[in-house]
Amino acid sequence: MAELMSSSEFRVALEQAFSGTMAKDASFSRAWATGKLHKQHFVHWATNHYHYIGPFGDYLGLMYANTPDHARDAKDFLLQNMYEEELSDDRHTDLLIRFAEACGGTREYVQNRDNAMPFAKGMQGWMYYVSGRENFVVSSAALIVGLESQVPSIYRTQYPTLINKYGFSEWEAEFFDLHITSDEIHGERGYQIVLKYADTPELQQRCLHYVREAADMRFAYTKALYETYVLPDLGPWVEEDEREPALVG
Amino acid sequence: MPRIHFKTADQYVEFAEGEEVNVLRMAIREDIDVPWQCASGNCGTDRLVVEEGAENLDPPRRRERARLGELVDEGYRLACQTYTRGDVTFSWDPDQVGLDDEPGGAGGSRTGWAGTG
Repeated sequence: MAELMSSSEFRVALEQAFSGTMAKDASFSRAWATGKLHKQHFVHWATNHYHYIGPFGDYLGLMYANTPDHARDAKDFLLQNMYEEELSDDRHTDLLIRFAEACGGTREYVQNRDNAMPFAKGMQGWMYYVSGRENFVVSSAALIVGLESQVPSIYRTQYPTLINKYGFSEWEAEFFDLHITSDEIHGERGYQIVLKYADTPELQQRCLHYVREAADMRFAYTKALYETYVLPDLGPWVEEDEREPALVG
Repeated sequence: MPRIHFKTADQYVEFAEGEEVNVLRMAIREDIDVPWQCASGNCGTDRLVVEEGAENLDPPRRRERARLGELVDEGYRLACQTYTRGDVTFSWDPDQVGLDDEPGGAGGSRTGWAGTG
């Protein structure tokens, strides 16, 4: 039976739980970061992303309701996170739609659930399930440590490519810039809450289980984006250094 | 290992060579009392004076430039928006509030506090 880990041991275990399957390493992310995608691919990405993270305020609201009053700092963090998603500045989903429109998409297309992959709907359902049914520490581990804290590492690679290679303006790509930094802080606060309130071996193990599951879910979803929308145009993904050298003469 | 010197709190945080780290994240992680509120570059509560090591910071992007205005030229950065890849020293006013909450002024105006360096 597992023993209670110290805070530092548990943090390392959480980091290791998703390090093997980070979405930044999935084929769609790699094609994006190396400048291979077309604007239509981004419309599909934005549409699916809308249905995956669009209800993030809902997920946080469910977690808020499941958080006991004595964990006031955790409740306050969830409330602040919700406020920042929806009200503090531009609504985050509006920034996502702004990007889709810059790629030739429309608000109506993005918001139409029929245009999302089954994987995106599965991701949304999984988020509703975990946030609504699990202990708040476990759902914080899954959604904030497992998913939200990955975002900066993904967008820090993708954002410069959007500006320098695909030619988007900073205004058009603001969705990414905003999340590079805000999710650093959300992710760190998520770690603090999980480290503080996962105070039994069982809770720690359950957190690790869901962090692994979250990383697997996001990786599979990101891989499916490539297979659904990019594979027909570009063929199977091969890293640059693994490609056959061009024949000469 | 490179390190961030949070001078006002008299604390240092080390990070691995070759990494780029977010300044506010490191402060929160180590319980260093840097003032902050929104973490989205909106409020300006977490503005810091760069005393040394500015060459190790990534350049300010649109959101930070818009929030700080001329304060960028005076050596200020927002902790939430700033990444460093090497040694850097920051100071700040422990009592500072958001730029829009400053008496008589909104973003871009100097607060009257000039750091300790």
